[in-house]
Amino acid sequence: MPYLSGLLNSKIVDSTDEVVGKLKDVYIHPRVGEYAPLYYLEIKPLHKKHSVFVPYNFVENFSKEEISLKTVFSKIPTEHVLPDHYLGLSHYVMDQQIVDMVGARVVRVNDLRIGDFEDKMCVLGIDVSFSGLLRRLGLTFLDVFKVLKVNLIDWRKAQPVKGVLKLDMVAKELTHLHPADLANIVEDLSIRSGSKLVNSLDAESAAKVLEEIDPKLQKLLVHQLTPEQTTRILTKMSVDEVVDLLKGLPDEEGQTILSYLQNGKLKKIKKLLHYKDDTAGGLMTTDYIGVKPDWTVKQAVKEIKKNFDIMRSILYVYATDENEKFLGAVSMRWLLISEPDLLIRDLLKEVSPSSILHPEQPVRDVINVMTKYDLNMAAVVDENNKMLGVVSIDDIMRHLAPHA
Amino acid sequence: MAWLKKLSPRLFLFLAVIGPGIIAANADNDAGGITTYSIAGAHFGTKMLWILLLITFSLAITQEMGVRIGLVTRQGLGGVIRENFGVRWTAFAMLAMLVANLGTMTAEFAGVAAAFEIFDVSKFLVVPLAALLIWLILFKGSFKTTQKIFLIFSCFYIVYIINGFLIKPDFGQAVKDMVTPTIEWTTPFLLTMIALIGTTITPWGQFFIQSYVVDKGLNLKQYKMEKLEVFIGAFITDIVSFFIIISTAATLYKYGIHITDAKDAAIALRPLAGNLAQYLFAFGLFSASMLGAFILPTATAYAFCEAFGWESGFNTTWENGKFFYGIILLSLVLPALIVLLPKISLIKIMILSQDVNGILLPFILIFVMKIINDKKIMGEHTNKPIGNIISWCTIVGIIAATIILVVSSIVGLN
Repeated sequence: MPYLSGLLNSKIVDSTDEVVGKLKDVYIHPRVGEYAPLYYLEIKPLHKKHSVFVPYNFVENFSKEEISLKTVFSKIPTEHVLPDHYLGLSHYVMDQQIVDMVGARVVRVNDLRIGDFEDKMCVLGIDVSFSGLLRRLGLTFLDVFKVLKVNLIDWRKAQPVKGVLKLDMVAKELTHLHPADLANIVEDLSIRSGSKLVNSLDAESAAKVLEEIDPKLQKLLVHQLTPEQTTRILTKMSVDEVVDLLKGLPDEEGQTILSYLQNGKLKKIKKLLHYKDDTAGGLMTTDYIGVKPDWTVKQAVKEIKKNFDIMRSILYVYATDENEKFLGAVSMRWLLISEPDLLIRDLLKEVSPSSILHPEQPVRDVINVMTKYDLNMAAVVDENNKMLGVVSIDDIMRHLAPHA
Repeated sequence: MAWLKKLSPRLFLFLAVIGPGIIAANADNDAGGITTYSIAGAHFGTKMLWILLLITFSLAITQEMGVRIGLVTRQGLGGVIRENFGVRWTAFAMLAMLVANLGTMTAEFAGVAAAFEIFDVSKFLVVPLAALLIWLILFKGSFKTTQKIFLIFSCFYIVYIINGFLIKPDFGQAVKDMVTPTIEWTTPFLLTMIALIGTTITPWGQFFIQSYVVDKGLNLKQYKMEKLEVFIGAFITDIVSFFIIISTAATLYKYGIHITDAKDAAIALRPLAGNLAQYLFAFGLFSASMLGAFILPTATAYAFCEAFGWESGFNTTWENGKFFYGIILLSLVLPALIVLLPKISLIKIMILSQDVNGILLPFILIFVMKIINDKKIMGEHTNKPIGNIISWCTIVGIIAATIILVVSSIVGLN
């Protein structure tokens, strides 16, 4: 089975054994999760300036030893331009960055492995190894003892991130990866490809990935997106993450994005924007599940189910009175074991006032309180005991290790 | 900085982009830089100032092109070359950069050795220690803080400017030499001339500024301000170079003293520092060398990994990042070993390494020129004619000088 590097620039003969030209490129029409059959050869005919495209079904033999055509070259209906959805392997895949979905990393294409698959000549694998590099350089003889191994990535498990490939197809496959892995991939790509990739994901996955990305890079990626694209993703992000992101952007850009957000979220965000990063107010999110004391456990569970998809972690539900004053919290554990008809009021326990946070409290205080009372989440209230939001262990970890 | 934004929006915009130009320019005045400028002044007086004037423009223009490619492509130079010229040209360009960088690293270690020679401390002690220190800090320490410390230290160049006024040099002669090209057709003159160009405009500087712009996340809107910063950076570097040259010209050239070690070069600072001149020079040489020695290995490794798609960064494992760590180790160990060769002249290492940089520079610049004039890559941001003229003159100038140098050393003009 040949490598593309061994085929490019080879002579091509037709059925009369006449040399008709040189192979310039090979075109495919990629589909996600499939080996890509070859559709056209780009041939530069002898003594001519412009290359032409020969449909692959006129190819008799396609190997390192010989590339030959089935008929006389002049009889073949060649094309001079190809539609955009065809992808030139040499132009758009060789030397470019691709995402290796098994290893969840970004690599560069050193060579491409071509071979038969179900009676069709297809691109089967991507060589990302050092020996592929040597082959391209014509330096294979350096590997005297044959110690270098070829490292092929299955074509179906790789995603080009540049070129004419439809990006919504890419996205489907990629969403199988963990958001943290995807975030690492985006960090490794050039910023332009990275933002393209983020934008190609569905809003929810994009939001998750963006939340995992280094804050500095987050800012850069957002620069590359239009305000509409950014908004699409931001509406799926939790309020506190949006606030952190907006804080990092220049005023003007932040304002534009704010103006695109819908009202409900906007109010929450504007409120949070006032707090400093390293205070309880800056760390907290306003996404929490609020319940009323006269609700039953069943009603509370229904409320959780309703909000399930927009909140990442639900550990407690928070009870407030009709004036939004904080009454207490009930853990998921208790909701799970309690009778459905029981009232929330009866599950609430006495809360020590010092375990409740205030927005201006510095992060040190927050950590002390949460450690002392063994809290995974702590409620934040204002001076009138009105509930503002919650700080989670997650928020604190992210604050302490922003680059992880 | 909010108050500044209100008070002076323009100044704020400028401060927001500050960094790439100034740092790249400042790091240009490393061990090789100080030595080359000192020798240019000590051996040839102010005769080379005209070259300095010309390459100030070249430096500004080439660095600006790096900034522009970075802003448009959002990739490092290695990545752009790979995606547009294929693997062979990439291997060629990266090899050229590697050789130039290894040369510069050798100069940095030679600088460390020469600085401590003033205190009679053996190079066999300080060079391995310096290499070890760099390795440890890269691994365990804060790269950013260290970089800042040495950057602040290297502000010592200001002493050359003060010194330059104290010795009351012949500014009239200096200005005259700046605008009247003179050339001596001798090997030492040509070698020094190429080193002068090669230490000011460097292959790694071209890679460095482009990556810096990308990493700092500047965008095209900030281009005008960044351009200004790069021009100011180029100007400042060469002001310093100017004063180093006139300082050594007035103190050493006048009395026919040739520089054979760092002690000789330090004499130039006597008018300002008196007997402390040697220590001041040693300190400056040491911090300049260390700044370069910190930046270069990692910059080299990142550029390689970007071009060849290898995993990079200090958070990768040894297994995955073997190329990344390998290149860093190579650029620490090999240069250190060269400096440790017995009886090798430290001054010669420092100046010859700059020659290597100068000779390899045109190759890198040609890539830059191809990229910057390619509409497919740069869109509407291709070069204006003036940029092309200055850059091609630089490239042709260096190549011509190199050819003459080679011919002259064969024919034995000297």
